[in-house]
Amino acid sequence: MMDLLTTHYNYVASILLFGIGLYVVMGSPNLVKKIIGMNIFQVGIFLFFVTTGYVDGGAPPVVGHGEETFVSPLPHVLILTAIVVGVSLTAVALALVIRIYDGYGSLDEDVIKEVQVDD
Amino acid sequence: MQLLLYGVLLTFVVFAALAVAFLRDILSAIIAFAGFSFGVAIVYILLRAPDVALTEAAVGAGVTTVLFLLAIVRTVRPGGDRLFERVAWGPAIIATGLVGVLLTTVRSLPTIGDPNSPVASSEITRYYLENAYPQTDVENVVTAILAAYRGFDTLGEAAVVLAAGLAVLVVLRKEVYV
Repeated sequence: MMDLLTTHYNYVASILLFGIGLYVVMGSPNLVKKIIGMNIFQVGIFLFFVTTGYVDGGAPPVVGHGEETFVSPLPHVLILTAIVVGVSLTAVALALVIRIYDGYGSLDEDVIKEVQVDD
Repeated sequence: MQLLLYGVLLTFVVFAALAVAFLRDILSAIIAFAGFSFGVAIVYILLRAPDVALTEAAVGAGVTTVLFLLAIVRTVRPGGDRLFERVAWGPAIIATGLVGVLLTTVRSLPTIGDPNSPVASSEITRYYLENAYPQTDVENVVTAILAAYRGFDTLGEAAVVLAAGLAVLVVLRKEVYV
């Protein structure tokens, strides 16, 4: 098991980030923190993808400067798109959270549930 | 040396994420998240992905943090004397279960940096690296793919950003409140 930390360290880290992200989304009562948890989960996926393209001794994918080996550029492109989409998602989610706060006067999941039952 | 650097950075990243999970104060959690994003950006630099690192630092650590700060300005920042949240045991067990199951699959992934891994040795990677400069005249292959080969993908991304901006405006429009 420990040998994984020397050969697959980034994969192990991204799996730990999946776990932490999932815990925050499910376990935190605060809606803003749930969105931060979603972002942590996303970053875990990004780290996983970028790691798959890495080659030992490879140069950044900028050609024409004499290097022979390069890391794979394709995961980088996909993740660049995903980062921007992730920010858009965060912005919409936070706007909805602000509306929920205006309607219920709280960001706490349990309080919001109580208000719903009272209505 | 490289391994030690990874060790320090990844430990920092994971502990910053744990700090986000257990800090009770939202502002502290947001600051920890910004530090987490910068740590991940440095890991991307070690992985030779400077474009992704720049985007993560500017968009992930910069714009996302500003969005979170704007959201807590518009809402509340729950107080309290406790520094840390209580552990929610149900979700903690489920998350640990997920981590345990996924860790059993790690061994079947290719070693990090393996030049024969499916992604690094694939036909499409070789095609882009060989043809990006002759076909598009752009030295940075990432830019060439983003703007030329996968230009429609980037157009779709722009459409998503536009849709998100419109959605935020619609959701937050004061006059609609009843």
